[in-house]
Amino acid sequence: MAHHIEGSRNSCALHGALQVIEAIEGAVPVIHSTAGCGAQHFLGVNRLNAGSDSFGGPPVASSNISEKHVVFGGSSRLREQLKNTVKIVEGDLYFIVTGCSTEMVGDDIPAMNKEGRDQDFQVIYANTPGFRGDVHQGYQLAVKALIEQLPTLGKAVPPKVEGLVNILGIIPHQDPFWAGNLEELGRLLEGIGLKANLLFGYDQGVSAWQKLPDAALNVVLSVWGEAPALLLEERYNTPWLALEGLPVGSAAGAFLRQVTERLQLDAHRTELFIESEEKRLNRYLASLADTYYRAGFQREFALIGESAQVVGVSEFLTRTLGLLPRTLIITDNPPEESREALILRLTTLLEGAGTELFFSEDHGEITDLVRNSGAEVVLGSALEEGVAAELGAAFLQLSFPLSDRVVLNRSYAGYRGAATLLEELGSAILSHSYQSRRILQESY
Amino acid sequence: MSKKHGKHIAIYGKGGIGKSTTTSNISAALAEAGYRVIQIGCDPKSDSTTILRGGNDLPTVLDTLREKSKVKIEDVSAVGFGGVLCIEAGGPVPGVGCAGRGINAAVELLQELRLFEEYKPDFVLYDVLGDVVCGGFAVPIRDGIADRAFVVTSSDFMAIFAANNLFKAINKYAPSGGARLGGVIANSIQAPYAQSLIDDFTQQTGTSVVGYVPRSFTVSQSELYGQTVIEAVPKSEQADVYRNLARFIDENEDSVIPKPLNGPELKRWARTWGDRIFEVESGVVHNMESI
Ligand SMILES: Nc1ncnc2c1ncn2[C@@H]1O[C@H](COP(=O)(O)OP(=O)(O)OP(=O)(O)O)[C@@H](O)[C@H]1O
Ligand code: SF4
Ligand SMILES: [Mg+2]
Repeated sequence: MAHHIEGSRNSCALHGALQVIEAIEGAVPVIHSTAGCGAQHFLGVNRLNAGSDSFGGPPVASSNISEKHVVFGGSSRLREQLKNTVKIVEGDLYFIVTGCSTEMVGDDIPAMNKEGRDQDFQVIYANTPGFRGDVHQGYQLAVKALIEQLPTLGKAVPPKVEGLVNILGIIPHQDPFWAGNLEELGRLLEGIGLKANLLFGYDQGVSAWQKLPDAALNVVLSVWGEAPALLLEERYNTPWLALEGLPVGSAAGAFLRQVTERLQLDAHRTELFIESEEKRLNRYLASLADTYYRAGFQREFALIGESAQVVGVSEFLTRTLGLLPRTLIITDNPPEESREALILRLTTLLEGAGTELFFSEDHGEITDLVRNSGAEVVLGSALEEGVAAELGAAFLQLSFPLSDRVVLNRSYAGYRGAATLLEELGSAILSHSYQSRRILQESY
Repeated sequence: MSKKHGKHIAIYGKGGIGKSTTTSNISAALAEAGYRVIQIGCDPKSDSTTILRGGNDLPTVLDTLREKSKVKIEDVSAVGFGGVLCIEAGGPVPGVGCAGRGINAAVELLQELRLFEEYKPDFVLYDVLGDVVCGGFAVPIRDGIADRAFVVTSSDFMAIFAANNLFKAINKYAPSGGARLGGVIANSIQAPYAQSLIDDFTQQTGTSVVGYVPRSFTVSQSELYGQTVIEAVPKSEQADVYRNLARFIDENEDSVIPKPLNGPELKRWARTWGDRIFEVESGVVHNMESI
């Protein structure tokens, strides 16, 4: 049945595509839609994240169509906008993305794209109206366009790299720690002798995307990376490894072992690497022990985020840190087929803990669920701040939208990400205890 | 919307069925009877009012809107036969843009320009393109624009099919203040069974025929002169047919919410007529009504 969604954290497909383009160095988005679409992306996505991308936010190129373009067709406006953008913004790749209005009207985007090509513009396109889906489908549509259209641009192909692994399924900004998570995963893969193709972030330009077909393996970190992986398998026979969630802490070791097995790498080398990483993390955990018992870390928690994050973080908090999973809320609307697997994996996380798992993107519903959970620690987005306070719970923001921290390359994945998570969750719990004590003292 | 000026009437029907010809002749007849009339062509082809204007050029509302940001009524209207104020909404060339939104935008603009308050018409006739293909084409029958809609049809199944579709649209919008159906105009009556077939369709759908317009050479001839029949051959029988239609629309304000047939019903109904026509053509004699 139809129902309304209050305060969704999932923006539209156009925005998902923009997030992809903006995270690729040298890629320049050209929006073909009404002016509000770009503005909304800035207000609803860019501004809710610390740091902005080179061509994102307010200066994004947009055809800003008006009524006459709806009535008479907006293709010519796009033609003009593309030309102007190429003149003003230097880029390696221009990427046309469309919004609802121009798709309703049926502007012929492939034709405009072809015209651009005829003028030697490096241009590709994706049809990304909001009615085709949310930010996750937008990611998939943009990545699909890159996979299919980049090879037709006639760009010089970068030299082949041995042992290349593409990382798929992390959506820039929808995972607030995307940049740091990618860097950490890259570091881990390099630790076992591979070369990671991060695709987004620092030093990840169009040539990274040109290397997609060369990979020996595609690693898929969320359900959203499956469609691109399937497409790459179909086109280039690349095998892929799906994880359902970010590997946090020891899960990273398991991940590296899986990769080692799939690619028949030197297992001894992998074990040595994992051992050194584990040692370091264990050392940190040992240093935390005193505080852990003194401040009573072993609390019941509620975790609200995208499936990949909920899987990775809850498993780490439960298995390694001994926290008790009370309520887990997955907000990225995974397709029916993958829900079964998620339910199985997460509700059996801790036998007898009665962990409850929900799928919701409705702010009101999520708030109620968290309120009823009685959790002592809430890990979620800025939207959960109010209910965490109501519960008097310790609170850590870790899913989109994030409001209280600048995120540059902080990570919550891998071994280093696990240590960061320890620090930040520990700090949240400590400052919460400190505040509670102060309130208590003041009231006497 | 503010107080209505004049009676607003929308004319629908399948493409090429004779909407513009019929509407223009009705406008001419109303003007001849002394009324102030506006005819608005809601069709990107913008040929609705051609035979009222002797085939002269008239810039369309949307074309003008595209070129200038400020549009005046004088820029987009022409006075045709009998003082009929002729306006063409215009729209995109086929295959691009959104003609439906165009009609919406043009009608909105005319309201903004206070056309009806300034001109104070007795009648406003909207000649709306073909089938109701999307929401935009239903604009004239939605709340606050036309009071009544008429549908032009012949006895061809596709024309009946289009009429039935319009009934569906009226059925949807009428309860929330949209236009109701004034009736069916049977056009190009020629085949012996045509009249009975259309009568039967109206009976099935709870509607009625308000006039039968014969297929006539006079119409074609007048069109070649760039004129309505009323202007070109005022004394002809065909001119009287249109005058009667105009009088009916003027004097009779009845309207209904039609009961459209659903897909299978319409097919079944058509099949029975297929059988009957076959029998007529092959000489099987039944005691059949009016054939
Ligand atoms: N009763 C009639 N007798 C003879 N010819 C007719 C009659 N009615 C219409 N026509 C002719 O049929 C042709 C189509 O008519 P008209 O342009 O009025 O149709 P329309 O429904 O407005 O078409 P469109 O959907 O293309 O706007 C014209 O050439 C017109 O002269
Ligand atoms: S949902 Fe449609 S109209 Fe809204 S911002 Fe996205 S593309 Fe634009
Ligand atoms: Mg016409």
